[in-house]
Amino acid sequence: MTTNPTKPAAKKLSMQQRYSALTRDIDWTPSYVSEEEMYPHTSYEGIKIHDWSKWDDPFRLTVDAYYRYQAEKDKRLYAVLDGFAQGQGHLTLSDPAYLNAMKIFIGGVTPLEYQANRHFAYLSRHFNGPGPRFAALCQSVDEIRHAQTEIHTLSNYNKYYSGMHNFAKMHDRVWYLSVPKSYFDDALSAGPFEFLIAIGFSFEYLLTNLLFVPFMSGASFNGDLPTMTFGFSAQSDESRHMTLGLEAIKFLLEQDEANVPIVQEWVDKWFWRGYRVTAIIAMMLDYMLPRPVMSWKESFELYFEQQMLGGLFPDLAYYGIRPPAGVEQAIWEKDHLSHLVYNTFYQFSHAANITTSVPTQDHQQWLAAAYPDSFDAVYRPKWDKLEKMDAAGNRFFYPGLPQLCQVCQIPMVFPEHGQGDKICERHSDFNGEHFNFCSDHCKWIFDREPEKYVQAWMPVHQIYQGACGGPTIPDVLAWYGYAEGDSGEMVGNVDHVNWKKWHAQVDDSLAGREQMEASLAADGVGVKEAAK
Amino acid sequence: MIKALGTYDFPSRSRQELYGDDILVHVLRGSSMFFCSAAAFRAPKAMKWSDFVGGMVMPFVTSDPDFDASKPLTWKLVDDDFDPDPDKSLEENGIRHKNTVTLIGA
Repeated sequence: MTTNPTKPAAKKLSMQQRYSALTRDIDWTPSYVSEEEMYPHTSYEGIKIHDWSKWDDPFRLTVDAYYRYQAEKDKRLYAVLDGFAQGQGHLTLSDPAYLNAMKIFIGGVTPLEYQANRHFAYLSRHFNGPGPRFAALCQSVDEIRHAQTEIHTLSNYNKYYSGMHNFAKMHDRVWYLSVPKSYFDDALSAGPFEFLIAIGFSFEYLLTNLLFVPFMSGASFNGDLPTMTFGFSAQSDESRHMTLGLEAIKFLLEQDEANVPIVQEWVDKWFWRGYRVTAIIAMMLDYMLPRPVMSWKESFELYFEQQMLGGLFPDLAYYGIRPPAGVEQAIWEKDHLSHLVYNTFYQFSHAANITTSVPTQDHQQWLAAAYPDSFDAVYRPKWDKLEKMDAAGNRFFYPGLPQLCQVCQIPMVFPEHGQGDKICERHSDFNGEHFNFCSDHCKWIFDREPEKYVQAWMPVHQIYQGACGGPTIPDVLAWYGYAEGDSGEMVGNVDHVNWKKWHAQVDDSLAGREQMEASLAADGVGVKEAAK
Repeated sequence: MIKALGTYDFPSRSRQELYGDDILVHVLRGSSMFFCSAAAFRAPKAMKWSDFVGGMVMPFVTSDPDFDASKPLTWKLVDDDFDPDPDKSLEENGIRHKNTVTLIGA
């Protein structure tokens, strides 16, 4: 491009003018094709939009401001990552068992960030209005940045600890990771408006604090400075995503009254789909943090019951939206959820990329205090029994494969409402085939769109079809890409042994000095020389 | 009905024909939550009920040290009471692909 030096410099636009130029001003009405042909995906879901210009983006970001701001945050994050790696920061974690939470994070959550990047990029092409297109574009770039920074943040641990080396393959193959994967696949394969409610509203607004705050405060309590810094670095993006989610639902509801029942069904569906995914967070909070932060029950009460049911839904009632079906079951389950899920991982630890153990007595005291209505009565006796079996040399692993729910894909471990001692079983027949579900709500989701869920890639069914590397558990684990130390009992595991060895080196300064001298001697450097 | 841009008709990824002459059968223990969930087994449709119980169900349930094998076993098939004929096959006893049989008592 050439410039004309004689022409006076154009007057600089204000921030607001630049935003307007970037969004509204590069929009046009198509003349060679119809609007329908240009945006073919925005009518079949039944959502009616009359005026796309009513989409109000409260952030009004411009591209240059966006990248400048993100680059600043990246600089700070990578400085922390470098410092932590160089200072052997991994040895200052509370305990290597803490990293089980991060193994779940990188295998279960990080790949979803990447999928979100791809799908928001799709939305940034396919919405008719320039406002939502640009908002989706920004979120798309955020999501790829999150995926990358999470991978970089955790890659330092991967040098020393098991279970993370193969996270992308594990996300595609490992039985329990099919839960978050199929959740997101369900959203990706929906229409653009449903995706906006599924991910933009339900995931990023309704459940986001339940999903992310536990990981980040867990990191902070357990000495994981890099993950905590990542969390701060993502926080301002997340608040923008929350605003986008809320703007999305209000926009749809305000555009046409006929949208209300459609959106209500999506809210019902996506609350429940998301809530089932958070079961793993419940377990992480209550059982996997060596220094616990808050219980799942407390977290659910604060972030969901108070903030969402108490704060958001009274506002949405104005539009004719009620709290999601399934809320009552979720509230009742809060006393049971984490215990049932950790017990499942304990029983299937030989097949997961995390390690588990019976909680210590101290930890059980904490659980009893956090769950006065259920722990001592129901769950402590279970752990006592499993501990006794372990002490007798019979550490219990489930001898077989579990029954899975066709919708959430979680082993069917959840109890009947009000009956903590009875597993809930639901079923439907479709085209002469029998399908099983963990709850009324997963059954409702299936019955609404059975054509979709009959295609689910159910890990147990696939193993039995011979599609997962072979007929035995070692065959399947090899196909998952597991290596020594990725799974099983925590005590005596490779990470546990290494941790002790490394700490013995650090704690025993004399031995540390001897080792340093030997290492320097090997390089042909004397200690006095090195001190210069 | 699903809302889609085009024809939406895909086969089930867990349909019985993918298992040849076998079916998947779920076994739930109704009176204890020691096992975190019901178990899934792949078994021939033609397998006798007594062989299914002896060869598959018993090795599974007896891994619970508190399971009392001396007590009589009673069953449910999906939602209904179930009185299987030990000499008849799973199929002849009315068990279909991915059904759940619940073991009550013991």
